[in-house]
Amino acid sequence: MQLPIATNLEVREYARRSVRRHARAFAVMLSLYGVASIASLVPAWVIGKITNFATAHQLTSTRVTDYVLILLASSVSYGVITYLARRRSYVLGETIFAELRENFLASVLALPLVEVERAGTGDLLSRTTNDVEALARTVRFALPEWLVAMVQALLTFVAMILVSPKASIMSVVSLPILFFSTRHYLRYAGPGYRRERMSYATLSGTVAETAEGARTIDAHRLSSRQHRRINDNVRESFYAEKYTLRMRVVWFPIVESAFALAVAATLAWCGWLAIHHQLSLGAATTVTLYVVQINDPLDRIISWLDELQVGQTSLARLVGVSTVRDDRPLEGPSPSNETITVRDVSYAYRSGHDVLRHVSLTVRPGERLAIVGPSGAGKSTLGRLLAGIDAPRDGSVRVGDVELASMPLGQLRSHVALVTQEHHVFIGSVRENLALARPSASDSELERALDAVDALEWVRALDQGLDTELGATGHPLTPAQAQQLALARLVLSNPHTLVLDEATALLDPRAARHLERSLSAVLAGRTVIAIAHRLHTAHDADRVCVVIDGEVAELGTHDELVARNGEYAALWRSWRNEKPATS
Amino acid sequence: MSALFPELPAADPGTPDTRSPARYLLWLARHQRTLLTLNALCGVGWMVSQALLWAAVGGAIDHGVTHHNTEALFAWVGIVMALGLFQAVCGALRHQFAVTNWLTATFRTIQVIGQRVAGNGSALAEEVTSGDVVNTVAADAMRIGGAFDVLARFAGSIASWLVVSIILMSTSLQLGLVVLLGVPILATLTTPLMRPLHRAQAAQRDAAGRLAALGADTVAGLRVLRGVGGEEVFLENYRRQSQIVRRAGVRIAGPQAGLESGQVLLPAILTAIVTFLGAEDVQRGVLQPGQLVAFFGYATFLTTPLRTAVEYVISTTRAYVGAGRVLRVLDVAPLVRDAVDPLPWPDGPVTLRDPVSGVELRDGVFAALVTETPAEATSIADRLGRYVGEGDATTVNGVALARVALNDTRRHVIVSEVEPRLFSGDLRDELAPHGDVSDDQILGALASSSALDVLDALEEGLDSHVEERGRSFSGGQRQRLSLARALLSDAQILILIEPTSAVDTHTEARIAQRLRASRAGRATLIATTSPLLLESVDEVILVVNGVVIDRGRHDDLVARSAVYRQIVLREEG
Repeated sequence: MQLPIATNLEVREYARRSVRRHARAFAVMLSLYGVASIASLVPAWVIGKITNFATAHQLTSTRVTDYVLILLASSVSYGVITYLARRRSYVLGETIFAELRENFLASVLALPLVEVERAGTGDLLSRTTNDVEALARTVRFALPEWLVAMVQALLTFVAMILVSPKASIMSVVSLPILFFSTRHYLRYAGPGYRRERMSYATLSGTVAETAEGARTIDAHRLSSRQHRRINDNVRESFYAEKYTLRMRVVWFPIVESAFALAVAATLAWCGWLAIHHQLSLGAATTVTLYVVQINDPLDRIISWLDELQVGQTSLARLVGVSTVRDDRPLEGPSPSNETITVRDVSYAYRSGHDVLRHVSLTVRPGERLAIVGPSGAGKSTLGRLLAGIDAPRDGSVRVGDVELASMPLGQLRSHVALVTQEHHVFIGSVRENLALARPSASDSELERALDAVDALEWVRALDQGLDTELGATGHPLTPAQAQQLALARLVLSNPHTLVLDEATALLDPRAARHLERSLSAVLAGRTVIAIAHRLHTAHDADRVCVVIDGEVAELGTHDELVARNGEYAALWRSWRNEKPATS
Repeated sequence: MSALFPELPAADPGTPDTRSPARYLLWLARHQRTLLTLNALCGVGWMVSQALLWAAVGGAIDHGVTHHNTEALFAWVGIVMALGLFQAVCGALRHQFAVTNWLTATFRTIQVIGQRVAGNGSALAEEVTSGDVVNTVAADAMRIGGAFDVLARFAGSIASWLVVSIILMSTSLQLGLVVLLGVPILATLTTPLMRPLHRAQAAQRDAAGRLAALGADTVAGLRVLRGVGGEEVFLENYRRQSQIVRRAGVRIAGPQAGLESGQVLLPAILTAIVTFLGAEDVQRGVLQPGQLVAFFGYATFLTTPLRTAVEYVISTTRAYVGAGRVLRVLDVAPLVRDAVDPLPWPDGPVTLRDPVSGVELRDGVFAALVTETPAEATSIADRLGRYVGEGDATTVNGVALARVALNDTRRHVIVSEVEPRLFSGDLRDELAPHGDVSDDQILGALASSSALDVLDALEEGLDSHVEERGRSFSGGQRQRLSLARALLSDAQILILIEPTSAVDTHTEARIAQRLRASRAGRATLIATTSPLLLESVDEVILVVNGVVIDRGRHDDLVARSAVYRQIVLREEG
């Protein structure tokens, strides 16, 4: 399932708000560009003046010096104002871009739990990295360049008209050619560039999985296959490049010819007017020079268009995330007690495919309940419902008398927490990694939590203890250590009910059991619902719930279930048989 | 045309010259000499025609307008148009050659990197992170290609600068010299403006890289974060880094604007000098007004070659740095190599022995390896399969494994690591990458690894596409699919490390029941501490402190060995 993409209307509204927030800065920037553009128009006018004086035999040394000084002054002020304008526009671009990415991350962090669980990280990750990156280019370069070019083109055109409206007519002959060829190009090139980007992403992906899976490649003699795949990806990139290249090889000469046509037509027309004394030679020269000059901003206007298209697509994907609303209320009633009741619950990810069917279950406060069953039986789904992350399709999951799924987030966290096998170590210190659960926690509280999960020893052994940097760029942790951190977070957040979904699966079995025991000492009095694939967890629990095919198949204490001789007993027996020394 | 624009990638990229970055770039250039020459020729045609356009404009003014000669005016206008069309054609060809050159150099680099990564990845992993490897493909190879792209335009710039100088000299030695000397001086003056810019850009790239990592990190851990809270803290961290990136960007603004305004300001001074000298000549009557327009045109045109020269310096520097990083990947030596005259793998039954630990494997044996830590099992398996240099001492039928052809060893001994990887591709190809098995055999192996449910959930069965790294599967599903792949390899000797660590007890019990049958007649060693698996094997080898201390059936070991009970049954003390 994908997160939504904003509509054009929403994107435009977002852009409009950004511009309005920086209206002053935009106005100053555009005025500076305007002044710079005017300065850049002076030299061509000076040349026209000099030619006029020359043909009239009125060119004196003083005039030469004066006009060249005007030319020099205008060029210098063009340079200086360009400097000021560019600097402002870069600063403005950085500011707008920073706002954009910060707003985006804020909406990511406000996504409803259900969406986060369902959408998976792939789509969101590509928005956070690829789209933010694509927008960096748009906001920093494409947009300012395009705006500058617009201002320049517009003012050059105005200047031409001021010199002579009649002479300027021919300057527009290139416009229809530019318009139609560019429209055609953009229509077909867009998909081509998307294919190019995708092909490079696939190539990077293949190289990444090849580099990371080196050992497997070695073991299964896959090296020539992976090599072939990289070559195949390169070939796909080549074909993608070849397509867009063909588009450009047609489009570029049309554009360049159109520019040449405008110059030639203007030169012929102005020359003819001058020969027939309807225009001064100076004016003819100036207008011709302006037509040459306007080609440059026109060229930039059309060549930045595809980059702007890319930027718009990316912006739509970023703004799209902020359109997802969390429907959890901000405040709600407090539950009357801590008993969790599951009543006749059914749940389906796809309609018609119920993963859970008519499940009913009561978890008493302080109870330790183990949920076991084969993979795909619906254990984890039940766990998510028990943790209030998702609402059942049918039936209810309540703590006391309040529906878990419609509880305000802050309140929910104080009641139930879920720790899964999926662990994540954040970039940051050990302290930061733990304190997210309770930002106000003191060092001794952190240490107590670490001790409860058998992690205090190795954390103390780290170079800088609690301040050691972890995560992708810091000190690497084993999966087992990462899982201990996740559990320590849980201890800190201190809800009355914990749902542990295979939370110790990555620890080696001996360590897992030790950890579970020390954890249960800390969690004494709390309700613990443990979804487990190791039977000792079930053995240590107060009650065992066996889930098979989306239904509760067996429920009772370990001894009851063993006595009952069902599914659980059969499994348990294979363990017990091997334990003559312990039992 | 096909000879000029070859299909890429080349069948054989050749052996790169890795002695230095410069030699590497030259090695690349040698492969595309013709393309580069043609590219340069088109570049010269493209730029020189742009310069000559101004001569034609001047001609139209002098011969047409000032002499009131309509015919001459239109003739010169015709030349302007012809030059414009010539420029357009040259430009298109130049672009075609430039992109081909760019792609040829980029793709050849990616190919040689790909060769190393696919063939020598294990050794590479010890020296370069996978992220760095991906960067050489995604960024450095592109930068190397970029240098080849600019090369032709740079050639055109030099040619047009010389042409303009010669034209000017033919009318005024003084003017010609101003341009001939002025352009290189301006180029030299502009270059220092780049240095602060590059420093600032590098600083921002670093900061932005950290920010991207922080964003990706937050998203990757989003479930955790939304589960236990702490969003505010993370948003604050991200904001702080984002503001660092913004400030780094603001620091770029100055140098960037400086370079850009320098690139217009410095040529403007040249234009002013040329205009001044030209106008004086016009005033003296030595020069026609049209010629002055042409001179002014040349001077403004020279901005383009000047920019190109600066771009050339930038892109060549980047390519050089990129080539250095590429060489780091190309230079990594493999962990194990073939002997000079390798022996073939022995025919018939074999005995594989790791002299360090004393672990021994014979044909037909179905055994388990129990160690105190998973790392210990891994190093024994690595030596048995000769994945590491220490494995050279391993013997097969008494002969050192180091003397046996590596490819033969890999074919006969397969070690399935703790976390085997899946790759993107059709599921059938991923399970049987050598394509030598039937679908029935694949289904059989999936049944043995209790992974038929994974297949059932896929709409297209064995034809389904496996996503990159197999990430659409859960950890347990990946593990069971990898187990099926290992079984399908049908290797004479198969060593499995913790093959069921991520599956539930129900499934593990099923796998334990079926594994033996699918490995009948061949040697299998399973490193595990799971009682369910241990119970199913013929012999358990117990290793403590790196050496075999006991071996026997699971029940017997449970009965007689306290260490064994501690490890396997998790008895305390």
